[in-house]
Amino acid sequence: MSGNLSMQYALRSLGRSRRRTGMSVLGVGLGCAIALFATAFMRGGQTMRVQAISQSGYGHLRIAPAGWEQSRRDELRLQDSAAALEAARSLEGVAVVAPHVRVQGLLAFGTRVAGVQLLGVDPAAEPQLNRLVRTIDEGRYLQAGDEGAVVVGKALVERLDVELGDDLLLTLTRADGEMEYAMLRIVGIISTGSRTIDETICHATLADVEQLTGLQGVAEVSVAFADPQKVAALSAELAQRVQGDEVLTWREVLPAMSGDEAADRAFSNFFIIVVAAVVILGVTSAQLTAMLERRREFAVLMALGLGERKLVGLVLFEAVFMGVLGALLGLLLALPLVWHTATAGIDFSAAMGDDMTIMGVFFDPIIYADMGLWMLPYAFGLGLCATLLAALYPAWSATRLDPAAALSQRDA
Amino acid sequence: MDEVLVAAQGVKKVFRTGDIAVEALRGIDLEIGSGEFMAIVGPSGSGKTTLLNLIGALDVPTDGRIVLFDRDLGALSRSERAELRLRSLGFVFQAYNLVPVLTARENVEFVLELQGMESKKRRARAEETLAELGLGELADRRPSQMSGGQQQRVAVARAVASRPGLVLADEPTANLDSDNAQALLQMMRRLRDEMGMTFVFSTHDPLVVSYASRVVTLRDGEVQSDERKDTCG
Repeated sequence: MSGNLSMQYALRSLGRSRRRTGMSVLGVGLGCAIALFATAFMRGGQTMRVQAISQSGYGHLRIAPAGWEQSRRDELRLQDSAAALEAARSLEGVAVVAPHVRVQGLLAFGTRVAGVQLLGVDPAAEPQLNRLVRTIDEGRYLQAGDEGAVVVGKALVERLDVELGDDLLLTLTRADGEMEYAMLRIVGIISTGSRTIDETICHATLADVEQLTGLQGVAEVSVAFADPQKVAALSAELAQRVQGDEVLTWREVLPAMSGDEAADRAFSNFFIIVVAAVVILGVTSAQLTAMLERRREFAVLMALGLGERKLVGLVLFEAVFMGVLGALLGLLLALPLVWHTATAGIDFSAAMGDDMTIMGVFFDPIIYADMGLWMLPYAFGLGLCATLLAALYPAWSATRLDPAAALSQRDA
Repeated sequence: MDEVLVAAQGVKKVFRTGDIAVEALRGIDLEIGSGEFMAIVGPSGSGKTTLLNLIGALDVPTDGRIVLFDRDLGALSRSERAELRLRSLGFVFQAYNLVPVLTARENVEFVLELQGMESKKRRARAEETLAELGLGELADRRPSQMSGGQQQRVAVARAVASRPGLVLADEPTANLDSDNAQALLQMMRRLRDEMGMTFVFSTHDPLVVSYASRVVTLRDGEVQSDERKDTCG
């Protein structure tokens, strides 16, 4: 329908049964509020997940040798390590670029032995990338120029029953298949708070690992950005710059965690869909009742020349108005809750126990909701979609009305 | 008879409820000319309202043909019939059927808005029509704030505001007392005289019959008599 009179008619019609309209708006509002909170929490959790992964040494992107994603072989090296590092460092918005090499080995002290993955790092870059190495319990982290030095996790120290300054015997297999031995002195002990992670930390300098393995060059470059929102765009740009190697996202580096994230997202979306479906069915029922009550009035309007399309427009306009009111109510209900969760967070430490790690990633036990301007289009989009969907069947029913039959029911 | 507005030829209407078929009209032949003030009378169940609905393009005949303003209703879609009603017909109902949430003026304006008339123009037309029918002071009242007679006059104003060629009124005086019924009929006849509109009533009311220039009597779905009067009212 066109013109203000039609809109006034629609608005005043909603006021005819204020209780029913109020209940419908309340239903839409509650649905919007639940969906807003669930989405804010999921988005917050997702942001923290990416942050946790990035700050656990993975960065947002990884430059890896071609074929690494399929084979996961530690001995693969980038085609041109220097060019890859330069390409990453010259990218706009890059916060830190950290090169790595990895090798499996055995650490021994006396009769005690532990299998480890020795990580070769750039001592200057690694603390900027990896928050775990900032949690030095004793000693210091690696420094440029260190030779034969190693930083290990506290749990590994306890397992080997060693202390700061002790020399560990490292045994590994070189690229040419020969055994290699080296003595590494413990210069630092890291205590992250997670025994799982502390059992795996074993860092040495890139130069030491290169020499021990007999493989020159870098196996991977982790890249972290100041603004994680730009990762997708920058990923493509970086991929163009590192011809011959691959640029992988954390999802490709950690496919199992990506699967977890997809499952979380699917569950959240399913929950929101269920809530929306309940709201839609409730509003449909209310709208259908309203339509049936106004059957005769619609018949009169149709007799006067109201066309089917205009009638649908009228019913949908009422739905739009309810959707807007419902969205506003939803925002009103959700904002305090989301604000509280965004500032105070929800502490999951009791549920997670002492160990806050999943797949080697150290997670913050307190999850904060994501409160932002996204909530406005989300609430209005959801409110309008729900009420418009809910109004479709009543609107269609109205157009099927036989005006002669509807009028004759009382006039006969 | 002047120009023929409505031509019904062999019109039949059958209503079916499950296996039961009720023949409401059994072959009506009728022509209605421009400027007529015609009453369709007959006992309950004789087919008056059914015929009015068919003439008003609210329904389609089971058999036969109705030509309204030179258009064969059987060949029109629902939306085309709605458009025809909007542009060429006015309706007055027994139960007034004003939109309760709109004022008298807004009720009149509503049809004009559906016709696409510009806001200021339609407001002026609505106020002018209400004033012509002596309802100027009621313009801002809602139906619930008016008497039955006043509501029916507003319903007439709504029906005639767009200056339709044909106004169909189904038992328009059924809920009115004699004084209000007489005032309403005088008003409608004045509109016929001044604006050249054609009025067709279905009625039981002898008062309406006394005002009609032509009386068509239906019985059992057939035209029993078709009487034209020299004097009326």
